[in-house]
Amino acid sequence: MYCIETKDLTHAFSETEIVLNKINLQIPEGSIYGFLGPNGAGKTTTLRLILGLLKKQKGEITIFNKPFEGNRIETLSKIGSLIEAPSLYAHLTAKENLLILQKVYGCPKSRIDEVLEIVGLSDTKKKKAGKFSLGMKQRLSIAMALLHNPSLLILDEPTNGLDPNGIIEIRELLKKINKESNVTIVISSHLLSEIEKLVTHLGIIHKGSVLFQGTLEELHIEQSLTSVIRFQTSDNSKAVELISKHNISPKIIENSIVIPTIEKIIIAQINKELVSNNIDVYQINTEKNDLESIFIDLVK
Amino acid sequence: MKFIYSLQSEWLKTKRSAASWLCLIGGLFIPTIYLIAFLYKHKTIEGIDGKGAWMIHFGSLMTNMQMFLLPMGVILASSLITQMEFKNNTWKQLHTTPQSLTTIFLSKFTVIALMTAKFFLFFNLGIIISGLIPSLIFNGRMPEETFPWKFFIEENTYVFMACLPIIAIQFLISLQFKNFLVAIGIGLVGLIGTLIGLGNWDQLYVSPYSYVLANAQNINFGMNLHGSSIIYFSIIMLISYVLYIKKKEKG
Repeated sequence: MYCIETKDLTHAFSETEIVLNKINLQIPEGSIYGFLGPNGAGKTTTLRLILGLLKKQKGEITIFNKPFEGNRIETLSKIGSLIEAPSLYAHLTAKENLLILQKVYGCPKSRIDEVLEIVGLSDTKKKKAGKFSLGMKQRLSIAMALLHNPSLLILDEPTNGLDPNGIIEIRELLKKINKESNVTIVISSHLLSEIEKLVTHLGIIHKGSVLFQGTLEELHIEQSLTSVIRFQTSDNSKAVELISKHNISPKIIENSIVIPTIEKIIIAQINKELVSNNIDVYQINTEKNDLESIFIDLVK
Repeated sequence: MKFIYSLQSEWLKTKRSAASWLCLIGGLFIPTIYLIAFLYKHKTIEGIDGKGAWMIHFGSLMTNMQMFLLPMGVILASSLITQMEFKNNTWKQLHTTPQSLTTIFLSKFTVIALMTAKFFLFFNLGIIISGLIPSLIFNGRMPEETFPWKFFIEENTYVFMACLPIIAIQFLISLQFKNFLVAIGIGLVGLIGTLIGLGNWDQLYVSPYSYVLANAQNINFGMNLHGSSIIYFSIIMLISYVLYIKKKEKG
């Protein structure tokens, strides 16, 4: 069952500037969905459309199995969000900022201290939010998103401005919330390395189109398919002849032999054959075997 | 009930805000000047005239207030409260809360109206204090005349009604423009233009800034000033609401 589903979501800021082109997202309930794409790919626009911050032009948005249109208030009551830069009242304290939302959501006042404790801002006391560091502002924004115990969290680049420790803490916090409360989390980022340790599912968007959508395992399969093995030998021409005998099509690129990924045992066998045929093997290495490379390949 | 919670939430945002300070300082400014003048000249309100001292004192302060400080204060307060969301980048937060757009619009407007009422409260408090203190100091007693509560309430209500078109137009502008200076600039130009046209142009009632000035000068444009003010206010509010609802980007 999907928590969020979009069908052919299309959006243009002008006739010539189409920012989203038939986006079909399927975000499973209970998942941590990483929404990945370079800056300007259309991530924030998609999330703003999902939250009703932008007027929908074309396509359908279904959240909790109901169309967003016509169920706006009911849907928003179950969503916590953080879109781009933190939204805080600079002249108010952390508690007062949360109190504003507590009144609207009607959740117990005790939740304010709970969420402040969760994000590590319990001792900010009378300090105004405007005096907070960017990291603290980001934490307070996360606290605001968590205040009413939402079933769905939509976080647009929530670790912006956080130091490495802060990033790890937020990652662990989100994992905990997802595991303990079965909260579906949609988290956008332009860095795969930042979210690959967190997400169960991934959607990659580039220039307004979704290039990949699936589980992390599916991306790993894609990853193995696109990886190559590179041999550097003393006699590349002779080596190519020998390697071709294994039903592999080697290519000589930049003074080295490049072949698609094969089993380790075959790599060892080829190596033995090359050596026994008096060919010196200087280097064997796997290339593009990381998710970041796949991401870069996809968005090229 | 949803509206009440929304209103409480909006009111909380005004805590320690510039608009809140403006109400306090702006409301007490003219009464403080009068108080200083009374103390300096060793005068009391009873010295103004034997009868209707409170009414004369009120009328004098209110006329001065209405001619510039009140419209300017209302322009600033209306713009500051609405602009708070732009300044803090919080429209998106507000628009993702489970409230109808109508509730958000109405509660935001109500806060501005309440803030204006707070301004009136401080101003009236200032009038009373500036009347009482000189009498206590120089006469050693309270002013002899009974305080005319009914008159005060009626006059304040009329002035408040005359302020409503300014609140509505500033609210409309502030909701549409991200830049705070646009709202303030239009407000100032509108106010100064109306001040220049006052008494020289019969159709000045087209300016939303004219009603409070006309009220101060006892000009009625040949119609029921306060009734017209309410109608004008309602029309601007309706336009403002439609523009707000139809806005394509909500943060």
